[in-house]
Amino acid sequence: MEKHAKQRVVSPEYMFFEAPRTRHFITGSEAASEAVRRANLDIAIAYPITPQSETMQRVGDLFGEGFLKDYYRAEDEIGAFSAISGASRTGVRCLTASSGPGLMRGLEVIASWPGHRLPLVFLIMCRVINAPLSIQPDNLELAYMLNTGSVLFHAENQQDFFDYTLASFIISEKCEVTLPVSVAVDGFFVTHARGWVEMPSAELKLPGRDCYNEAVPMIDNENPPIRIARDAPIQKSNFISYQMHAAWQQEIHAAQERSRRWITRYMGGLLEITNPDAETIIIASGSAVSQSREALRQAQDMGHQVGLIKIKSLRPFPVQELRQACQHAKRIIVPEFNCVGWLNREVRATLYGHTEAEIADGPRVYGGITMPTEMILEWLLDAEKGGQ
Amino acid sequence: MALRTLNVAPGFMRFMPKEYQDLVEKGPFGRQIKVTDLGTFKEVLEEHPMCEGCAMAFFIRLSLAALPNPEHTVMVGTAGCGRLAISQAAIPFVYGNYCDTNGVATGLKRGLQIRFPGQHKDVVVMAGDGGLSDIGFSQVMHSWFRKEKFTTIMLDNEVYGNTGGQESGMTRKGEVVKMAPLGKQFEKIDMLGLAQTSGVAYIARLTPTNPSRVFSTIRKAVLIAREVGPTYVQAYTSCNIEYSIAPEKVLDDARQVEKERYGFVEIMSDEAKAYLERIDAESKA
Amino acid sequence: MMNSKPYRVVPGPEGLLPPAAATCGIVLPEKGEGLVLGSLQSEQETLLVMARELLTRKNPTIFPGPLVLWAWKEGVAEKAASVLELADEIPGVRIIPMPDYRPIYPKIDPEAVINPCHPNLTIWHNKIEVCVFVGVHCHFANITLKMIRAGTNCYTITLCHEAGHEDSMASLPFCGADQVRALTEAIRQLKREGLRPRYADTPGIQLTPTQQTVLSGLAWQHGDGALAE
Repeated sequence: MEKHAKQRVVSPEYMFFEAPRTRHFITGSEAASEAVRRANLDIAIAYPITPQSETMQRVGDLFGEGFLKDYYRAEDEIGAFSAISGASRTGVRCLTASSGPGLMRGLEVIASWPGHRLPLVFLIMCRVINAPLSIQPDNLELAYMLNTGSVLFHAENQQDFFDYTLASFIISEKCEVTLPVSVAVDGFFVTHARGWVEMPSAELKLPGRDCYNEAVPMIDNENPPIRIARDAPIQKSNFISYQMHAAWQQEIHAAQERSRRWITRYMGGLLEITNPDAETIIIASGSAVSQSREALRQAQDMGHQVGLIKIKSLRPFPVQELRQACQHAKRIIVPEFNCVGWLNREVRATLYGHTEAEIADGPRVYGGITMPTEMILEWLLDAEKGGQ
Repeated sequence: MALRTLNVAPGFMRFMPKEYQDLVEKGPFGRQIKVTDLGTFKEVLEEHPMCEGCAMAFFIRLSLAALPNPEHTVMVGTAGCGRLAISQAAIPFVYGNYCDTNGVATGLKRGLQIRFPGQHKDVVVMAGDGGLSDIGFSQVMHSWFRKEKFTTIMLDNEVYGNTGGQESGMTRKGEVVKMAPLGKQFEKIDMLGLAQTSGVAYIARLTPTNPSRVFSTIRKAVLIAREVGPTYVQAYTSCNIEYSIAPEKVLDDARQVEKERYGFVEIMSDEAKAYLERIDAESKA
Repeated sequence: MMNSKPYRVVPGPEGLLPPAAATCGIVLPEKGEGLVLGSLQSEQETLLVMARELLTRKNPTIFPGPLVLWAWKEGVAEKAASVLELADEIPGVRIIPMPDYRPIYPKIDPEAVINPCHPNLTIWHNKIEVCVFVGVHCHFANITLKMIRAGTNCYTITLCHEAGHEDSMASLPFCGADQVRALTEAIRQLKREGLRPRYADTPGIQLTPTQQTVLSGLAWQHGDGALAE
């Protein structure tokens, strides 16, 4: 008997909130693959790239053990992402993953998944984009992911990587969502470092994909219509085809909006706030949150009141929540692990006209540098002095 | 059984468009169609927007009629003229991105195998020479290396017809077409040789001059892909626009090209041969 | 930035490119609720609104989609029967199917089908001012609804088997045969209460000219306008 057949199917609610959990000191790659073990996954396809490989080769081991029904190493990222799109069209539960240059290579395919209405989970283990060639952590690639139409989460640590990944399969396959869900994590800092992760028993698994209750028909010849050109080649050059394409794009963003309800239900909201009454606020996502948490502790030790807003969901973005949380803010800093400051831009666009606060243009590190907590602290103190 | 997707709900037949009434009552589903049956049943493809006299449209029509089990077949295409016709057929059609046909087909075949292990689900890629030998080359080759069990059919018009007549890897050396102002500088890509090297189980090259031959070639390619391995069919389907062939001369051109250089080539592995013999014997038993 | 005035989903024509209602703060109803002009209502309230619009607006039309047209799984025949029963209660109603979602070349016959690539053609041609979508996959229903709101004055009703549609004027989620029958019952109730249907003098389902031609065996293919004369 295959191992997955021995697992007990439980409801998402039981898996996420009720099942007893035990603590394990594991790497992010291990956390992600442990989520996959419990995900009732059918197929995973990926092409190796550092720092993603460790997770996807572990998923290969899970296939070897019988937890997945199919798995292979693709010829490259375009091949992997194309093939997983084919699999998703047939109604099986799907996973793929990549990092930096690999993500960039496959970007045409990634940006087409939402338009094709393909539920699947895409893990992103962030690393710098070449050139010069480097394998170091840096999350510039998420700037490109923001406009693909995919739902996009940014996990802070190993625990998040486990929880977000598991929840993503369920959110992705909700009928009114029917979109890929991407879970990003900063490479090495999370993937290759250990942290405490609380996990439900490996004897449990999520319910399988219920593919006939999604927004589009499956390509399996078992559900109507018999003529399925789901991915309409709208190439008439006239107003009708423009209008259809426009409505189609709107529908992708509407579907992202509809995921809010499920992100709130299964992940406790799109953001998380520490010290909501503080006038000086750090807004961060990913492992910059961990660094900010430590800077916040140090600032408090020095007698400063500082708040922290952790953005969990980048798409959809917590627009209303962030405006609400920053109503009384006087100073905001946005620590990031990339040189363009994509989160800073998101924050400014969201808060424009809704806050009196000064928003500092940083701090940022990139190229693989970790952000010293002292750097965040300096920016905090400068902000309080009205500097920068 | 997929025929249930052809049951019109009680009371609704009178509201259905005529083409669907005909498909349900006189379609090719659930029975074996012979080339001599053409004209006596409702074909899965009739109306399409291809150019007058298009050899590709004719070949596609024959190929779709030849499918052994259209009710269990999925077609995969990509940018190019062919998809304008294929998307009109009463067969699920996937139209993805540039270059992705054989990756998508791999995922489809494996997904369908997971969900319906007891039912042959035929996956057929049908795309142009540019889509398969240029931009999609890597995925074609790797699907063959991996021995993925589906059929790849190249609609070889020796040019990028849909984008207005640019040189493709399958254009003949010396042809002056767009983006080859001095004539193409290298030979037509030897896809048959590459297929052989990759261990493709059934390989065929033909022109649409002989409908019976098209029928038997497509049928063999789809059946062998079910159990033996990847199959490849390369069909000369001239672009009468870009190569300035009068609509009424299209089949004359095909006959001439067949005679002079394209021929009918069929290369089958021993395993494929044995498999065909076995299923033919079974069907006669 | 979000508009401070709450967005309302009302019959169009709304203009070149109306927004998706979901991006304007309209949320989907829960089980037991419905959505009317973008506001959450009780299921019963929603059914009564739908019933009134169907009886009083011009050229009521039901657009059955693939999920009720094809009896592909248990329960479909029952739901299809409930849709015909609903039609029988709406005098002058037409039934024009959406049998598939492909972009139809070279052109559609708007008296034979409605197509998600250009649903407005069918609405315009038949001067439809109230319609019901039932059995259409949600993605295609949503893009269809937006195009109808953009360019026509049609009141759109969705009987959705899943979570419902923000972009229709009235939407009922998780809608099986029971809910369709409840709508039929709401129509009967309004008639009992004295509402005289707009087409009270032309009872029953009306076939479109193309449908009549096909039914009488005169059409050898669809889409030929000349045959539909």
